[in-house]
Amino acid sequence: MVDYIWIIIALPLTGAVFLHFFGTRMGEPAAGAVASATIGLSFLYALAAAADFFTGSGEAEAVHLFDWIPALGANAQLLWDPLSAVMTLTVTGVGTLIHVYSIGYMHGDPRYGRFFTNLNFFAASMLILVLADNFGLLFVGWELVGLSSYMLISFWFTRPSAAAAGKKAFIVNRVGDVGFLVGLMLILANFNTLTYGAVLENPARFVTAGTATAITLLLLLGAVGKSAQIPLFFWLPDAMEGPTPVSALIHAATMVTAGVYMVARTASLFELSSFSAGTVATIGAFTALFAATIALTQRDIKRVLAYSTISQLGYMFLAVGSGAYIAGIFHLVTHAFFKALLFLGSGSVIHALNDEQDMAKMGGLRKVMPVTHATMVVGWLAIIGIPPLAGFWSKDEILAIAFGEGGWFTFLWVIGLITALLTAVYMTRWMYLTFWGESRWEDGVEPHESPPIMTVPLIGLAVGGAFFGLLNTPFRGPLRPAFEHFLEPSFEGVIAMAHIPSGATPWNLATISVVAAALGALFAYRRYRGARAYEIPPFASKRTGVWRWVGAGYYVDDIIGNLLVLPGKLVAAWTAFVFDNEVIDGSVRAVGGGVRRIGGWLRPLQTGFVRSYAAVTFAGVVGLLVWFVARGVG
Amino acid sequence: MTEISYLAIGPVIALTLGVVVILMVEVSFKPSTSWLAATAGSSLLGAFVLGVLQWAEAAEDPVIRFRGMLALDPFAAFGAVVLTVLGAVALLVAWPLVLQQGRRAAEFVALVLLSLTGMILMAAAAHFIMLFLALEVASISLYVLAGFSRETAEAGEASVKYFLLGSFASAIFLYGVALSYAATGSLSLYGTAAFLSENLLLDSAALLAGIGLLIVGLAFKVSAAPFHMWAPDVYQGAASGVSGFMTAGAKIAGFAALARIAVTSYAPYISDWAPAVGVIAAISIVVGTLLAIAQSDIKRMLAYSSVAHAGFILTGLVAGLDGVPFIWFYVVTYAFQVLGAFAVVSVVSGPAGTRSPLTDYAGLAQRAPALAGSLALLMLSMAGIPLTAGFLSKLYVFREAVDAGYLWLVLIGAVASVAGLFFYLRVIVLMYMNPQGEQTAGAAGSPGVSDSLRIALTGVAVVTLAFGIVPGPLLDVVTTALPL
Repeated sequence: MVDYIWIIIALPLTGAVFLHFFGTRMGEPAAGAVASATIGLSFLYALAAAADFFTGSGEAEAVHLFDWIPALGANAQLLWDPLSAVMTLTVTGVGTLIHVYSIGYMHGDPRYGRFFTNLNFFAASMLILVLADNFGLLFVGWELVGLSSYMLISFWFTRPSAAAAGKKAFIVNRVGDVGFLVGLMLILANFNTLTYGAVLENPARFVTAGTATAITLLLLLGAVGKSAQIPLFFWLPDAMEGPTPVSALIHAATMVTAGVYMVARTASLFELSSFSAGTVATIGAFTALFAATIALTQRDIKRVLAYSTISQLGYMFLAVGSGAYIAGIFHLVTHAFFKALLFLGSGSVIHALNDEQDMAKMGGLRKVMPVTHATMVVGWLAIIGIPPLAGFWSKDEILAIAFGEGGWFTFLWVIGLITALLTAVYMTRWMYLTFWGESRWEDGVEPHESPPIMTVPLIGLAVGGAFFGLLNTPFRGPLRPAFEHFLEPSFEGVIAMAHIPSGATPWNLATISVVAAALGALFAYRRYRGARAYEIPPFASKRTGVWRWVGAGYYVDDIIGNLLVLPGKLVAAWTAFVFDNEVIDGSVRAVGGGVRRIGGWLRPLQTGFVRSYAAVTFAGVVGLLVWFVARGVG
Repeated sequence: MTEISYLAIGPVIALTLGVVVILMVEVSFKPSTSWLAATAGSSLLGAFVLGVLQWAEAAEDPVIRFRGMLALDPFAAFGAVVLTVLGAVALLVAWPLVLQQGRRAAEFVALVLLSLTGMILMAAAAHFIMLFLALEVASISLYVLAGFSRETAEAGEASVKYFLLGSFASAIFLYGVALSYAATGSLSLYGTAAFLSENLLLDSAALLAGIGLLIVGLAFKVSAAPFHMWAPDVYQGAASGVSGFMTAGAKIAGFAALARIAVTSYAPYISDWAPAVGVIAAISIVVGTLLAIAQSDIKRMLAYSSVAHAGFILTGLVAGLDGVPFIWFYVVTYAFQVLGAFAVVSVVSGPAGTRSPLTDYAGLAQRAPALAGSLALLMLSMAGIPLTAGFLSKLYVFREAVDAGYLWLVLIGAVASVAGLFFYLRVIVLMYMNPQGEQTAGAAGSPGVSDSLRIALTGVAVVTLAFGIVPGPLLDVVTTALPL
């Protein structure tokens, strides 16, 4: 079973190739059905292959497919261990539901077939990323998901904003990738190979703490770019220009978590450098808070969720930076469920309101969209951390471990707690403005519940969002730490570092965070209960003072635009119009002129007459003979 | 006793039988072209199977047979297998041309098969006289093929030029053989090697002059500069359907012969001939690239590019025996690429056409996306862009040359590769970014692609990509395909 693990990648890849050639001809809904079937079969295969891990008898296994660059230890070799199994199951499981949902969501799109080609291609790329057994293949997957993310963000490329958003995501990710690539070179220089096994098993044999710090900080730069953390977070909100299923799959559930996965995968390197680990946690905590404040002020239904995603990814970084790798991956999985759910729900709303995304023109949708509303309530409770829904368990575990680390991490715990409160505020606001209160729909808009092809995946995700957390509760019970046991083999040797509080502390901490969430929800309830048409108080309508600042996302885009992009464009313009014209074109012209002149010298030889050809040959013979005879005599 | 080995000449027998049957039946029965295809196909298939059997046998126990005439070693077997595949693909590409020949179709097919026998023997020859005979069998068939479309003046001119200059090169080659014999007293490749490793020559001038002339003779066949002058005229003048086979076949066989002589007979004198080979390589790379830039006809451009590629392949030879696997890798992948490129040309300018100006390719991507796509892929591979076989070939020969201490040659090669991007990418730019310009009558509209050609092109494209991404299998084979 495990020997043929490549089938998991091959299925969606085949789907992508097949749909590339026949997708347009097949049309609706066949193209979507093919795409969903391939990824669905991948999920079933992964489930079967992971069976041994569920029973506890499975061993991590490397599956060699073929040599690629053996000299660098970068071969087409896949790793099947609990961590990659969890990632694979998340990608294919959530991916299948989103593929199915897209069959309905993309209905009527003129490029229906191409959408599923790209979606399948993304799934294959992401699976390469999580199944790779060396950094070389990881990088291949890393770049391929970047490419497919670009293609899907600007899927509606005729809209200038979509084209610009795709470009922005791609360029910002490049910045991170440079760091990542240099990090890989450092790994190669120090370990002489890129294979996980050789690098990650007790890396202290090969590198000092200083080198490990350099390597991990560079890897972190890559992770920060891919997972939209400070300072490279600002591409993600714009990425919402893509179709909503894309936002759910790529920019919430899977691709953006690649950074978290990568840090967890290289845990043994991060363990060597407390500075790097602390940096990861600090970046995560501050990103969580920062993005949550911006989420308070957004009017676009998807941008709230985008900032929320950044904020939740911050929690995951806080977790893996605190040594709580399993908690981080746990939150990654629960978040994949409830955030994909929230996104797909917002897609359902957007669909119902004829592509309206402004929450000022929503409200009161509870009555007309009962199924969507019910699933959204689950998503809402899950994300703000109300027990026993998924988000509570995973977020609380992260906060508990950060608290347990003590010192600087206690401060990070406080930030995490404040973020939990803010999360409750902005998500409750989101629910009020969209589903509750009075309707503020534009004239002529008749909202309707989405078809079952869209609501059934919502229900599926809601079930996951509601119950998945029970797999890893800190309390006594049959399921107690099932998830932890499952993942433990992947973190042998590093897991002992996490400080898990014992005794009454977890109870107290859990109570504190539930109270924070309840307070936040209560505040939002009092504030938005009577929200009227075109009046979205207070954070958006009265854009004064600090709220104006927050509402514009702290003007990060403008700062980046003026500080980096503008000079960059100036340099580019100078390069294009001065340097290129004068120096490059000049030298090309000079070389071209030289070539033409040499050609001019050579052309008389190419007369077309046999005698002159023979003469040139003869000259060559003479030249060679002079050399050889001189060698022979001398 | 065991000097006769029918397996050693198995592929040649299969092909010769095919030729004889084709010619005899043609005279008496006037069969259809599909009969012709079946006969040629089964003869090639037979040769292929026997080549594979040779490989299986020779990998265990390489030997010399026919009293020192022929080697039955992995090197020869690999050459036979590759050349029969090449011949089959070449016939697929040339089939539209064959169909146009009417009564002369059988002769055309017979000549292709005959030249293949010569080429296969060139890779297997263990004796200078055998090598010379094989060279002539291959060459004379090619001379005739070059002028096969005798209605056009260019074809006749190409044929005569090729023949005259070819005889010139053959004479030089023979003179080299004579000098080598005078110095060593042996005409056998392995006898020469044995003599040179056991005896120290007091005056090696005669031997070295012989080596030099032998190199010239074979450098002419692979169109290395400055012995390349015939190539542009001949490849342009010959019918497009067959230029690819002439280029590819001559390259494989020529480099096989050159590599075998260099690393077996004259291995002790590598410090003398390697620098000369390096200089020829450098001149070929520079001249081929510079003149390719200046061309406005794609066939002439491909001809000069093949001169540059000959230089790149020779870059691998300076490393001696270590470079042989990578010479194989390069020459085999390149041979199929150039065959594919000429196949596209034969569609765009007609299978019997001689001229193929670059302007014919403007906007080809809209008229024939599949054709343009394959040509673009082949151009990228020839330019050495990663993920194609062309990139890895260059990488491997450069690595061998650096290891052998020829950094200067690799630097020249690297700079020329960059310059070469210009004329390879120009074709792609023309096809994809230029609107359809004014068309010559032949190029307007969507060119019809025959099924045989489509199969051949698809195969070439798949192989180019596959070996560019997963070179392992081919590398495993070529590292075994060494001379005895």
